Amino acid sequence: MLLIYLLVLAVFSTAVFVLARRAARRRATVVKAHSAAGYHGAWALIWAAVPALIILILASTFDARIERTVLIASAPEAVQALDAPRRAAFIEDARIVGAGGMPRQIWTGDLSTALQEEAARASRVDGALAWGGLIAAILAALIGAGLAWRQTRPEFRARNRVEAFVSVALFACSAVAILTTIGIVASLVFESLRFFQTVPITEFLFGTQWSPQIAIRADQVGSTGAFGAVPLFVGTFLIMVIAMLVAGPIGLFSAIYLAEYAGPKRRAVIKPVLEILAGVPTVVYGFFAALTVGPSFRAFFNWIGAQLVGGPLDGLGQHLLLVQNQMALVAGAVMGIMLIPFVSSLSDDIINAVPQSLRDGSYAMGATRSETIKRVVLPAALPGIAGAFLLAVSRAIGETMIVTMAAGLAARTTLNPLDTVTTVTVQIVTLLTGDQEFDSAKTLAAFGLGLTLFVVTLILNFAAQRIVQTYREQYD
Amino acid sequence: MRFNLFRQLDGAESGGTAATSPLLAPPHAAHQEPTGPIKIQTRDVSVFYGDKQALFDVSVDIPDKAVTAFIGPSGCGKSSFLRCLNRMNDTIPIARVKGSIRMDGEDIYDKALDPVLLRARVGMVFQKPNPFPKSIFENVAYGPRIHGLTENKTELADRVEQSLKRAGLWAEVADRLDAAATGLSGGQQQRLVIARAIAVEPEVILMDEPCSALDPIATAKIEELMDELREEYCLVIVTHSMAQAARVSQRTAFFHMGELVEFDDTETIFQNPRDKRTLDYITGRFG
Repeated sequence: MLLIYLLVLAVFSTAVFVLARRAARRRATVVKAHSAAGYHGAWALIWAAVPALIILILASTFDARIERTVLIASAPEAVQALDAPRRAAFIEDARIVGAGGMPRQIWTGDLSTALQEEAARASRVDGALAWGGLIAAILAALIGAGLAWRQTRPEFRARNRVEAFVSVALFACSAVAILTTIGIVASLVFESLRFFQTVPITEFLFGTQWSPQIAIRADQVGSTGAFGAVPLFVGTFLIMVIAMLVAGPIGLFSAIYLAEYAGPKRRAVIKPVLEILAGVPTVVYGFFAALTVGPSFRAFFNWIGAQLVGGPLDGLGQHLLLVQNQMALVAGAVMGIMLIPFVSSLSDDIINAVPQSLRDGSYAMGATRSETIKRVVLPAALPGIAGAFLLAVSRAIGETMIVTMAAGLAARTTLNPLDTVTTVTVQIVTLLTGDQEFDSAKTLAAFGLGLTLFVVTLILNFAAQRIVQTYREQYD
Repeated sequence: MRFNLFRQLDGAESGGTAATSPLLAPPHAAHQEPTGPIKIQTRDVSVFYGDKQALFDVSVDIPDKAVTAFIGPSGCGKSSFLRCLNRMNDTIPIARVKGSIRMDGEDIYDKALDPVLLRARVGMVFQKPNPFPKSIFENVAYGPRIHGLTENKTELADRVEQSLKRAGLWAEVADRLDAAATGLSGGQQQRLVIARAIAVEPEVILMDEPCSALDPIATAKIEELMDELREEYCLVIVTHSMAQAARVSQRTAFFHMGELVEFDDTETIFQNPRDKRTLDYITGRFG
């Protein structure tokens, strides 16, 4: 139904647009019009379409709710006497029957007869609301169009009004993104507060035991969970460091090559290829890590372990023999590969932004290309590169798929890259996937972790943006 | 101050010679000082950018211990020619240079000659001051450091001080050598860049419109500096300002459409040019 209304409204407002434009042309023959006829048309279109549209949207959003409120308020005694969930179920059934469907539950006695009456009433209320909404929308469209029509005079500043409306509409679009962010943060904060009522924040941030599985029954073993997130922070940090050790140097050096050494032809090939690498879905990197890199690393370390066992380094050998497919090194290395294009593309832009005049100045002093890069270009680009690295770090700690598949689940406080570790993001995934009750400390812990992650990446992004921005200003 | 902006005007009023404009007044005593021997000799130098030829068969003899000015309208090839003299055109991939350029008789486009070493002998100052984003001290120390010209820190500090003194900047920055060079004013930055060039003790200093981004007072200081540097170096400047060429140079070359139209004593160029195009240009009929 709504679709048809919208279609009708579109046709109507288009007609209003055409008519108002023609009227504006006709009326502007004597006096020179302030605005072009098209703006008068657009102004009329806005007035015809926008209020009606708002009414239609509001009506279709709230009609079920209004209907329920009306039905409950005027329901017979027998229904009023029910407890809240049963009453809601009854009203719902009444609406279904009213719309011609079958009730979901069996209602007996008074309720059975009441259901028929209520169904009839529901059908009437529904019809009234639908018609009411439609008539209100039609009225709004007609009145809006009429008002705008009267304003179609040569001296009317339609262009300024239309432009003001467009700017408000554009602002509303950007506000959606901001409001959504605020909403997400608010939900994170509130759920986290609930979590911190069960688990003190100090225990969460500084505790070293992480085992969030709480038993359903109190007499089960391990009935209390432990929510010390330090092992997760350490795991996240370890993988981030490994990833940056891979992505930092390789990304930076490839950026230097691209910006300073590669000719236009090679650049035209290499840069797009690097950027394609950035478009590979992280889940693909994930199974690359889990199925290719993990087993080969394991085989390699096990082989070394086998060579060492029995020798002077027996202890190390025994340890290497126990290395598994999932380890921090695999997740970190693959994540590093994922970040290479990110680092190199950002750094390349920043190195390119170093003015050519600085390079010329250095060459004119008799400096070689490498001296110029080392002593002039890189120092000049350093703040920007630091910003790029911070952004990469922030992506590394927020990355989920690769670590879920390649890092493991064991919450261990270790800096050994060959151990399996777990990260904040992995734990959020395991805590929230599958059927979960939504009010246990276990599920709420995910929000605590999410909030921590959010705050850390926010700080990193903010710092990075500030650095990059001051750097840009320096050379503008 | 041996020169200032207004002196030319005074000269014009008192001299009353055949000059066509007060700014192009007769050169005063400084211009008649003898120049040194030939430092750079070019023969049939042409420059191409891709398929486009920017410079056609330029042959000039540039004297030592003097200021030689290149003038001409925009796009006439004077900057391209200047950039040949320290092989800066090498840094532009599509640029190609033909002909011979000899400095003290040595072919600077010889395959065996390293352009990096040449540029240590031929310093360059650019249109827009381009101090490195380092401290004032580090800017001047840059050349001596990369060429290993000093043995220890004291020597380096001495050289920095000497260079800044010769560039007339020492008094203004002596107490803040560690401050960022980018915080200096435009004129100070340009003198810093000159100090940076001097610090490697070049034989030739090329200046590509060194004053075009500066205000008149900073310009006057740079011009004064050029006149002092002339006693030790071979200076070649490209300038848009004919008044500046008249004030500071001893020899002037006029370029037009990629050709060298006329090359002579500055006095002759401005008072008695042989070519009609030169006369038209210096009297402001085009360009």
